[in-house]
Formats: sequence, C-alpha cells, structure tokens
Amino acid sequence: MLEIARSEMIQIFRNRLVLVTGLVIPVAAGGYFVYQHEVFSDLGGLGYIAAIVMFTVLAFGLYTTAVTTLASRRQNLFLKRLRSTAAGDAGILAGLVLPVTVISLVQAVAILIVLGAVATGPAQLPLLAVAILATTAMMVALALATAGLTNSPEHAQVTTLPVSLSVIAVASWVGIAGTEDLALLKRLLPGGAATELVVNAWDGGVPLADSLALLPITMAWVLVAVALAARLFRWEPRR
Amino acid sequence: MPASPVIDVERLSVTYGDFTAVRDLSFHVRRGEFYALLGTNGAGKTSTLEVVEGHRRAASGAVRIFGESPRDRRAVRPRMGVMLQESGFSPDLTVRESVGLIGALSGRSDDVDRVLGIAGLTRKAGTRVSQLSGGEKRRLDFATAVYGGPELVILDEPTTGLDIQSRDALWAAVDRLRDEGSTIVLTTHYLEEAQQRADRIGLMHEGALHREGTVAELTQALPSLISFVLPPGAPEPPTVGALNGAFHIETFSLQDDLYRLLGWAHDTGVELRELQAGPTRLDDVFRAIGRA
Repeated sequence: MLEIARSEMIQIFRNRLVLVTGLVIPVAAGGYFVYQHEVFSDLGGLGYIAAIVMFTVLAFGLYTTAVTTLASRRQNLFLKRLRSTAAGDAGILAGLVLPVTVISLVQAVAILIVLGAVATGPAQLPLLAVAILATTAMMVALALATAGLTNSPEHAQVTTLPVSLSVIAVASWVGIAGTEDLALLKRLLPGGAATELVVNAWDGGVPLADSLALLPITMAWVLVAVALAARLFRWEPRR
Repeated sequence: MPASPVIDVERLSVTYGDFTAVRDLSFHVRRGEFYALLGTNGAGKTSTLEVVEGHRRAASGAVRIFGESPRDRRAVRPRMGVMLQESGFSPDLTVRESVGLIGALSGRSDDVDRVLGIAGLTRKAGTRVSQLSGGEKRRLDFATAVYGGPELVILDEPTTGLDIQSRDALWAAVDRLRDEGSTIVLTTHYLEEAQQRADRIGLMHEGALHREGTVAELTQALPSLISFVLPPGAPEPPTVGALNGAFHIETFSLQDDLYRLLGWAHDTGVELRELQAGPTRLDDVFRAIGRA
C-alpha cells in the first residue's frame, strides 16, 4: 500500500492540473472564508465557516481529486496492472487515495487552526475531530462510488458535481439557517448532520449528548457511501 | 508420481451475459514447459487467460495455478509474472519508478537496473511513461513480467508493436528464463513464434480447444504441399490436375512424391517452374480448423 501511495504522491506533484485544481483552489477558497471570517460569521457564525471550509476542501480537494485519479487509473488499465501483483484490493485502493486524503486533511486542519487563531477556537475539539474524520471517510467512500460511474478523468468534471455541490449546499443551508426548522430533513441530507456537528463543536452551547445524537446519522452516511462504493466501483473500463 | 501441473484448467466456461466466450475448456501446463495458446480473433484466448490471471471469474469449471486459486493473489502472484495484452502504467511515473513499483508489489525481489537491461530500457530509465513509444511500453510491460524471475510467465501478445531487434531481445530473455526453469504461456498472432518455440500448442476456435499437441502432432494430420507451373505445351505429369495452369499436389509422403515428380520432370525434360515443396505449417492447421 505504501509503495502505491508513494507513487501517487509523486504523480500529484508532477501533474500541475491536479495540483492546481485539486489542492491549490480548495485551499484558496477555504483561505478566503477565513480572510472574510467577520463577514461570513454574521451569516452563520464561526461554526458555519468551519463547516464550509471543511466541505470545500473535502469536496473539491479530496472527493474530486480521488474520483479523477481513480477514473484515470482505471481508464489507462493501471488498476488492472496493480491487480496483476500480489497487492490486495483494499491495499490498492487505500494506496491510491491515501496521499490526497492526507493532504486534504492537513489542509483542512491547517485552515481551521488559522481560523481559530484569527477568531475564536473550537469549543469541543474532540467532537470536531470526530466530525472531520467521519466526513473524510464519507467523502472517500463517495469518491469510490462515483468513480464507478465515471469513465474518464474528463467525465469526472461532470460526475463529481452532484455530490460536491450538494454537500456544499447542505452545509450552507444547515450552517446559515440552523436546524430549528426541518431539522430531520436537514440532518438526513448528505453532510447535514456532519455540518451540525461541526457547528456545535466550534460554537459550543449545545449539550454534548445532543451533539452525539448526530453521530449515528453521520456514521450512517459513511456506511451508505461504503455500500455504494462496494456496489458501483469497477476495476476495468467498460467494453 | 508425476509433478502437479503449474496450470490446471478443468472444464472452464466463461460467459458474458448470454454469450459464452469459453466452453468446457480443459488443458494443463507442466512445469518448465513452453505452452502456446493460439486461436482466431474471438476464440476465447484472452477470456481464458484473464481467468488464469485471476482477473475474471469462471462461470463454471476449475482453474488452479500451482495448486491454488488464481484469485489468491498472495499465494500465486509472487510466483507468476504477467505481461498484459494492453499496457497499463501511470503516465507521470518514469520507467524506473514503474518497474520499481510493480516489482515491489509483485512479492519478488530483483535489481531494477538489471531488469531494465533485460528489457532494453536502460537508456529510458528516467523517461516518463507518457513519452514512450508503443513498442517501448510493451518492453516496459515485459520488464515488469520478468521482474524477479518468476516461476511462471504469461505473455499475452508480447511482440505486438515491437521492431525486429526488440523481438529478438525479448525472445532471448525468454530463452534465458526457460533455461532457469520458468514455465512460459504464450498467446500470439505470430504463428511462427509459437511454431519455433512452443513445446505444445493448444488451438482454440469459437471458445473451445480444437487441437492440442506438439507442432509435429498438429501438422501430421494435414498433407504437405508441392506446387509448380509447367511451361506452355509441356506434357502434364500423370494423376495430377492443374488449376489455372498451376499444379498443387497434396501428399502425406512429401519426400517420395517429390522424388517421383523430379524424376518424371528429368525423364521428360520438362522444367518445373516456381517449384515449391514444404511440410504443413501451423497456419495450414489454423485454416483447416476455420473451414471445419
């Protein structure tokens, strides 16, 4: 797995298009939210900014790059090549997505640290960490599922839009409007419960038990994404 | 007690929906043997190989590699190198990085520079895969297959797109592997490559194995051919019919019949123009299967 991860890391830094679209732009967008935190905190508070930063990096950095990478590796039969070795399927997939996952997590955490430094830090750090990790797992699994429906890297520009735009939209809706109205619907939408978890963890003021009640929904989305990935992921191009 | 075969295929069937690509196929490959699996386009060779390589599930039947399931990668892959029909490498990795990566994942150990030398890629070691020609990518494919000197090497159309020097170098490397005891399985459209090298050949047609044996065994069932053209006005040899002025004699006694023909020509003073005589070739066997 680590050999594959190392080769993927090399390729990320050799491919300027991936580097810019997958890594630089999400950081720039996240950085903009932090830079304008006073404006955006008026909309939904610092918790909203933390949630939107997390989803911007994980949706446009991790998710989109992972789908593009997997589609590309399948299209040029590199996945088939890897399966001709002694490496197992789980190890191959883990190696392929590990670098972009680690990079995205580091980016998200770094931006949130800056947000905490220039404004106010999170009230419940462990809860924030759980929310970020669960959302990361969900986005990786959704990337595997979406890759199964994506024929080429070019096709990924289209197939990634529904999920990436949906989670950003849900995060904005939940983060700005709160969950006083339509609470169940908002929490059941992809990223809805995770957004509320991040908002609660950053802003505080919500009993821990109430926040923990959001975890099963967040984890349920992780399971749904994993189930979709297991059903939809393909190792070879359609012929 | 005979050694267990390296590859053991028993009543294999492969289907794609309602279409049966391979039906009831059985063959085995012995340790150290060079076995060529040949067939027309769509004969089912690639489907068979994909099951043997562990890339595809069989609809029915059993395939064992070294006595193990081909899908048990940890058990099988360290002993088996595969040269896929189509290359699959990351374009942004260099040749050296690609061989190093696939080699490390193969479960075998080797020196990357040595393997690059075998494949004639030493000068391309630092070149990205995206900048390689089609022939160079085939050589890269070959390099990853022979990394670590595997006990079994599967070569799927290995020389397609290679120039003559690269072909010679590839076959020299395969010969060395054989000398070291490796078992070789080959599919190719270049029949002369199989005819020259294979210990045994399996001929597939429409998903089934039609013939199997050594080249001599496969060709002895078909007659050899003598052909020639007579000058205008020359007498015809006895018991031979002409087609458009050209004579074609099919014979199972090539030497005797050729001797008699040349004797007749000498006695009658007739020049046999464009005279050709030769044993049955593998492509004749192929054509006969296609006509059947």
